[in-house]
Amino acid sequence: MPYNKPHPAETIIISRRFHLPNSASIDTFLAHDGYKAARKALDMSQDDIINEVKKSNLRGRGGAGFPTGMKWGFVPRQSPKPKYIVVNADESEPGTCKDRLLMEFDPHRLIEGCLIAAKAVGAHQGWVYIRGEYRYLIDIMDKAIAEAYKANWLGKNVQGTGFDFDLSTHTGAGAYECGEESALLESLEGKRGQPRIRPPFPAVSGAFQCPTILNNVETFCAVPDIILNGGDWYASLGVPRAGGTRLLCISGHVQSPGVFEVPIGFPMMRAINEMAGGLRPGRKLKAVIPGGSSCPVLKADECDLPMDYDSLAKAGSMLGSGGMVIMDDSTDMVKAALRIIKFYQHESCGWCIPCREGTLWLKKILTRLDDGIGVRSDIDLVGELAENMLGRTFCPLGDAAALPTISIVKKFRAEFEARLAQVQVPAGVSESLVRIHV
Amino acid sequence: MAINQVFKSASAIVQGLGITFKEMMKPTVTEDYPDVPPVFQERFRGKHELQRDENGMEKCVACFLCAAACPADCIYIEAAENTDKVRISGGERYASVYNIDYTRCIFCGYCVEACPTDAITHGHGFELAAYDTAALIMRKEDMLVAVPPGARPPVIAEAAASHGH
Amino acid sequence: MSNPVNLTIDGKAVQAAPGTLLIDAAKQSGILIPAFCYYEGYSLQAACRMCLVEVEKFPKLQAACTLPVAEGMVVRTEAASAVQARKTTLEFLLTNHPLDCPVCDKGGECELQDMVFRYGAGESRFTEVKHHVDEKQWSPVVYYDAPRCILCYRCVRVCDEGMGVTALGITHRGAYSEITPNKGDHLNCDQCGACIDICPVGALTSGIYRYQTRPWEMEHVGTICTHCSDGCKTTLGVRNNEIVRGNNRDSTGINGEFLCIKGRYAFDFIKHEDRLQSPMVRRNGKLEEVSWAEAVKAVAARFAEIKAAGGAIGVAGSVHSTNEESYFLQKFARQGLGTPHIDHARSGDVPALIHALAGKTDALATADSLYHAKAVLVVDADLSQQHPFLAFQVRANVRHHQAAVYTVTRGPVREEQTAAKAVHTADYLAGVRGLGEDLKKHADLVIVFGDGIKGAAVGELVAFGDSLGIPVRYVCLVDYSNSRGAMDMGLLPELGPGYHPAAVRGMSLPQMAASQDLAALWVVGADPLAGGKRLASGKAFVVVQDLFLTDTAKQADVVLPSASAYEKSGTVTNVTGQIQRLKKGLNIMGAKPDLEIFGLIARAMGVDAGRAQNEAVFEEIRKSVRGYNVPLPVLATGGAAQAQPVNGRVDVLPDPELVRSAGDTLFTSGSLGRYSKILGSVMEAPGALYKG
Repeated sequence: MPYNKPHPAETIIISRRFHLPNSASIDTFLAHDGYKAARKALDMSQDDIINEVKKSNLRGRGGAGFPTGMKWGFVPRQSPKPKYIVVNADESEPGTCKDRLLMEFDPHRLIEGCLIAAKAVGAHQGWVYIRGEYRYLIDIMDKAIAEAYKANWLGKNVQGTGFDFDLSTHTGAGAYECGEESALLESLEGKRGQPRIRPPFPAVSGAFQCPTILNNVETFCAVPDIILNGGDWYASLGVPRAGGTRLLCISGHVQSPGVFEVPIGFPMMRAINEMAGGLRPGRKLKAVIPGGSSCPVLKADECDLPMDYDSLAKAGSMLGSGGMVIMDDSTDMVKAALRIIKFYQHESCGWCIPCREGTLWLKKILTRLDDGIGVRSDIDLVGELAENMLGRTFCPLGDAAALPTISIVKKFRAEFEARLAQVQVPAGVSESLVRIHV
Repeated sequence: MAINQVFKSASAIVQGLGITFKEMMKPTVTEDYPDVPPVFQERFRGKHELQRDENGMEKCVACFLCAAACPADCIYIEAAENTDKVRISGGERYASVYNIDYTRCIFCGYCVEACPTDAITHGHGFELAAYDTAALIMRKEDMLVAVPPGARPPVIAEAAASHGH
Repeated sequence: MSNPVNLTIDGKAVQAAPGTLLIDAAKQSGILIPAFCYYEGYSLQAACRMCLVEVEKFPKLQAACTLPVAEGMVVRTEAASAVQARKTTLEFLLTNHPLDCPVCDKGGECELQDMVFRYGAGESRFTEVKHHVDEKQWSPVVYYDAPRCILCYRCVRVCDEGMGVTALGITHRGAYSEITPNKGDHLNCDQCGACIDICPVGALTSGIYRYQTRPWEMEHVGTICTHCSDGCKTTLGVRNNEIVRGNNRDSTGINGEFLCIKGRYAFDFIKHEDRLQSPMVRRNGKLEEVSWAEAVKAVAARFAEIKAAGGAIGVAGSVHSTNEESYFLQKFARQGLGTPHIDHARSGDVPALIHALAGKTDALATADSLYHAKAVLVVDADLSQQHPFLAFQVRANVRHHQAAVYTVTRGPVREEQTAAKAVHTADYLAGVRGLGEDLKKHADLVIVFGDGIKGAAVGELVAFGDSLGIPVRYVCLVDYSNSRGAMDMGLLPELGPGYHPAAVRGMSLPQMAASQDLAALWVVGADPLAGGKRLASGKAFVVVQDLFLTDTAKQADVVLPSASAYEKSGTVTNVTGQIQRLKKGLNIMGAKPDLEIFGLIARAMGVDAGRAQNEAVFEEIRKSVRGYNVPLPVLATGGAAQAQPVNGRVDVLPDPELVRSAGDTLFTSGSLGRYSKILGSVMEAPGALYKG
């Protein structure tokens, strides 16, 4: 059983099989509309499938929110090269835990989504790139894939349609960087997981230099219902430029954390207070990370907004991967900033200078600030260094480290100041001199 | 006429001796060199000194910047690498040969300015006259300051250890 | 060039071919965009972020090294935002960089230093403890100091793409990333040192040069490497009359970026303790040191005596001597001593190739053609081992122009990694013929062949080339720095300078050794009696000019110490017939250049063989040796002048059986190699031919 019960306010679509007994098995799946969408898609034309996905306003669920239909449309289908499907199941964004549920409780939905995508672009090979830490999910996925092969939903001549599609799992070695699509492809090819120069984008030149559809688990999982019920139906669930539902992973200082399915545009405060059971008694909301640790944090008074791409962008943050971290007034924001930067420092691949050196430097300063031996200029320095990383790194990891840091320092500066070194600086003595001694 | 002359001369003598007596009472400004060592301003640029750090290691890392800065081209260096057995300076490298040709040095102080490790400084040595110009080419040993008391630079420490401590 | 793209860089209207990278387009118009990781000719990284520039209509700064030019693009390379970005990137870089410039070998020629001078902040705001790891020795010649490394990955790429070795990679991640050698703690590679040369900072340092001196303390002498026949230019760093390093600072040579271990490190034989310092004369069965005057007098007197008596004098020339020396030697021997018995150690059948190509124009390939030809066929040669520069050219051709490579060898060679087809056979011609259909497809072809193709086989190979119906050019591989020149200058018993038949056909080296009547043997920079061989003629007067007491010298009556290629001037001709000038790097005591020695002997004998002086002899070579009438300014400015292909039949063809390559590897170089401690120290690596 998933660790939280469904909440009445949820709009249950993608998670509808989560609570069925033995939900991961193909029998359960087939008994509950399983592979119906795939069956339908196998008889549809490639353009029809892509158009349906375009109509649905489905946007990538991995974090960047790129329109999926458009991405699929970029694949040069007339190219003589083979096309590939790659599932990004390297769910590593702190605060995000939705893909694991999809794979654990409904793995066949993912296989079905891949099959439809494969049909849409004429791919005959796919890989599910699962992060190494999800050891148990690899077994579940492998089992589901074996079942699908046995039932001829994978393999040669799928369901007698003449369409071939092979799918297998591939294990990462535990690098956050490999969640970035081009680094994932490098890793998939057996190389060091470092991002590639883009363009060309994977749709044109992805795995093994061939056109590749690379989407998040949740994105692929959304496709079967779009094919089954139509793109217009899916689009109508969300807001004008982003259709459908998505899984919110609410964690942190709430009474009943969990994964909840809501339509895009669902009010944030309702998600926190109703679904996640609100804050602990006597506590007040301090800050929210709305979509995984790489998003700028929102202060409590900024949180009264609908969870859609545009509203969050207007508030200076991002919808991201749906990993909401709720922080109440017991949270030490200096420690929070340090924890976040520690993660990115540990995960920085080292490819480009600003991210490689910047994250380590930030970690060192924040550690000092947290230890109470920082000086006033450190606070500005943290903000400035993060700004210097922003937009100048090779891949988005640098931005992911910089954005939350900048927002925390800006919005919770008072907390940093309260933690400065208790050293009296005599007038006229430069702080940098003092710093050496502390 | 003559007596007038005498008075005139006498007054001149008195006047002259007056200055003498007046100056006699004032403190002396000349120095009793060579009987007493001369006193220098701190900034006086005399013969160079090659410094050691607090552990007695040579500060010079043979970066050649002094030689590059020298307008008289009077500094000659050969570099060598410190090893585990022979450790002369604090850095990776030390000067195995460090010569200053005092027939050419113009005591401009550029070398001191250029030194990144404060290894070379101007001392106050000035008695550099010699009968033989060859004697004016000073070697490292001629310029190196003594090991500070209590410091045990590794090479020396090792030598001491091998003497049965 | 299809329609050029118009763009504006720093207010300057610039045209560039479509697809040109912004950084290249800027460079073509004289605007230098700073970069660490970008390096022309190697794959793109976009890792250093130094080349970020402001491009109109782009919200963020763009990396000029990966951005292709576009019509109407407006670029500001020195916009305030770009300059600020560089300043902060440098600040980041310097956080864990040790700032030990005073002791760093790169200090003074460090790209990071230059960049910080130009863009960096005056002071660092970094007050934390720097991340430190100890320096590592990867091989006798390569050291790695990780803290200095800025992770630009140039070394990784040059080793992988340039050398085809792939000995370097990256381990760990983030700020703790390090370059790591293929054996974990040490390198098993070509030891070419290209990684050291290409390193923009002092992270990779040379085991020879480390902590010796500083860049500005040396004189930089661009001369030609004296080892294999590829003719690479190497820049010797000379201080106090001693070579402290060789590198590729002067990349104007035919080899551009390239140098192998020999060009970079194997100059150390010149200060080997066994180097001869003084002439020696045999007295009472023992070689005794004597003055030059005495030794020269002894040689001249004996030669004059034998000449007068009509005795046979054999002359063995050198494959390391300059063209001037070889020409003067054969002229002095033929005219002064009146002997036709002249030979040298032949390693490739060049006369047969020239004969076979009679009547064809543009049929001899240059080092450049190996980079531009659409297809390259390598026959009986382990190119990466024996001719590393030619192999480098072929690899660059494959990388940049997708050239097709074919190999016909008796064992695996590195070229097979990228070869279209590889054939292993000892019947080379059969192997070559089997590739006919494949070779025909290409627009042009260069055939490189070793000593497995000689005599009649050369003619058959050329006939095969003719049958393909495409332009084919050839390279006949020879062993040493002036093996080709020795043949061109006529150090052959059958042929005089320019492959004209000699008036009288003399004895070859084996014939001289076997002759009972040989009255004298004059050996210049060669070792025909290596391995303790004896002359059949017990009474022969043996004179040896060499750097070392070789096996032949041990049997000599007079030994004259000679100068190495780094200690003299003159010209040499490489394997593809490119003439280049040696530049004297240092003065020596004791030994003398061969040409000077010839002059002394000629004068002592009272023979007029012309002025024994480089310029005068070369002028004569230009007039009398076919193909050598090359423009002097090219040579004088350190360039390579192509010896015009000799076009015509060679009436007398030398015995092909005498053609035999010594089969040197990357780490051997005939007798010079034996006296190079560096070459000896790295023998662990792939020191064998045909091992891939």
